Amino acid sequence: MTKIWAVFRKDLLIELRTKDTLNSMLFFGVVVLVIFSFALASLRESIRPAVPGILWVAFAFSGTLGLNRMFASEKENGCLQGLLMLPIDRGAIYFGKMLAATVFMLISELIMFAVTLVFFNLTVWHEIPYLILVFLIGTLGFTAVGTLLSAIAVNTKLREVLLPLILFPVILPILVNAVEATNIILNTSDYGALRLPLTVMTVFTIVFGTISYILFDYVLED
Amino acid sequence: MSRKIRSRFDTVLAIILIPGMALALYMALIQAPRESTMGDLQRIFYFHVAAAIAGMTAFAINFICSIAYIARRNRRWDSLALSAAELGVVYLMIVLITGPIWAKPAWFVWWTWSPRLTLSLVLCLLYISYLLIRNYIEDPEKRALVSAAFGIIAFADTPLVWFSIRWWRDHHPGPMLETGGLAPSMRPAFYVCVAVFQVLMVFLLRRRYCLETMRGDMELLERQSDASR
Amino acid sequence: MNTMPYLFSAYLAIWIILAIYLYSLWSREKTLREEVERLKERLESRQASADHR
Repeated sequence: MTKIWAVFRKDLLIELRTKDTLNSMLFFGVVVLVIFSFALASLRESIRPAVPGILWVAFAFSGTLGLNRMFASEKENGCLQGLLMLPIDRGAIYFGKMLAATVFMLISELIMFAVTLVFFNLTVWHEIPYLILVFLIGTLGFTAVGTLLSAIAVNTKLREVLLPLILFPVILPILVNAVEATNIILNTSDYGALRLPLTVMTVFTIVFGTISYILFDYVLED
Repeated sequence: MSRKIRSRFDTVLAIILIPGMALALYMALIQAPRESTMGDLQRIFYFHVAAAIAGMTAFAINFICSIAYIARRNRRWDSLALSAAELGVVYLMIVLITGPIWAKPAWFVWWTWSPRLTLSLVLCLLYISYLLIRNYIEDPEKRALVSAAFGIIAFADTPLVWFSIRWWRDHHPGPMLETGGLAPSMRPAFYVCVAVFQVLMVFLLRRRYCLETMRGDMELLERQSDASR
Repeated sequence: MNTMPYLFSAYLAIWIILAIYLYSLWSREKTLREEVERLKERLESRQASADHR
């Protein structure tokens, strides 16, 4: 448990010092939102149904950037070998990295969401706790499988470029359900219907968290 | 299996396949009764769905081989996994091309987000990713290990994707490709087509596996000759 | 509407896809066999020069 915390803390501290990853994630996410605003400008007021989709596309793109940075920087600086030589269970590395990525993504998501409210003239108040729940579970599912796939991608010839290619088909269930859940919250008031997408996302997170934890060992073997 | 038995089995398969394909064509195009609403167009269904089933079987084989490789670390499992993945993609391409050809005259749209078609699309993407990963890792053992991991992930993802698509479709209904039940008079044609596609898959799988084994042997030889210099 | 052209093109597409794949298998096998021959020759020539010494 403490080992997970140690890996998590390390990533967090490095990030706090440079804020590299967070800044680039945030900036890229906001850029994506801006592009969507321009691309869908002709929709004007009727853009509200499209907002959940836009939001999660921005989250997915900026999240991929963050996941890339997570292992790419270790590989560049040769730290990956060092990390593997430590007497830590590889699973602890997995969970530590996953938690760090989740935290980074959540911070960017909340800020991106605030920006969305401004760009698309939305008001939300009592929807916020539900939204945070959807963001949390969605992000956990994303990083559960994204951490493993990022570790895979970084060790190939294409490096980080491979990650979007292999990640997006896999996280489709998360995206579909997260967009639907966000849509339910923002555009309808039928909160009961939230149970199904949230359940699927939770199942996804648990299943892939477990599979990734088991497979992480094999993927980093040298 | 010795060379002789192996090639004899392949010959037997080929001998079964040639009249088999002819039979499947006959059953689908001539023997099967004409469907009432769509007419002869519906006959695409027999090969379309048979290909989908064969593709899914191929991916299931890939899943089993991936697990077997991680457990045993025997190169053969990796070769079989790769062959199965490739075949699955080929079969799904058939599904993805015959689907729109069927949909356009029937529902006046090229693409329907029907569950089977959408799942075929996502699975195709998933396993193309699998093939992509393999392309960009040089070391054979690492490549086998990593793609086995991804093969497991891809197959585990499939039920979740299927479920998500079905539920999403309920919210965004559109023209449907899937026909409900199959009339009993159409079943013989359907079963024949499914069986023939399965046999074809076994045949192609063996050929691809042979090719891959040869390629792996050669890779080993090359490494040895480079090392002995 | 005459749906026969569509039926025909669907089955044609299936044959074309399978034919392309079979061709790809055959051509890969050919290339591989040539590689193996080349490798064998290389090894034999090296063996011959080693024997000479």
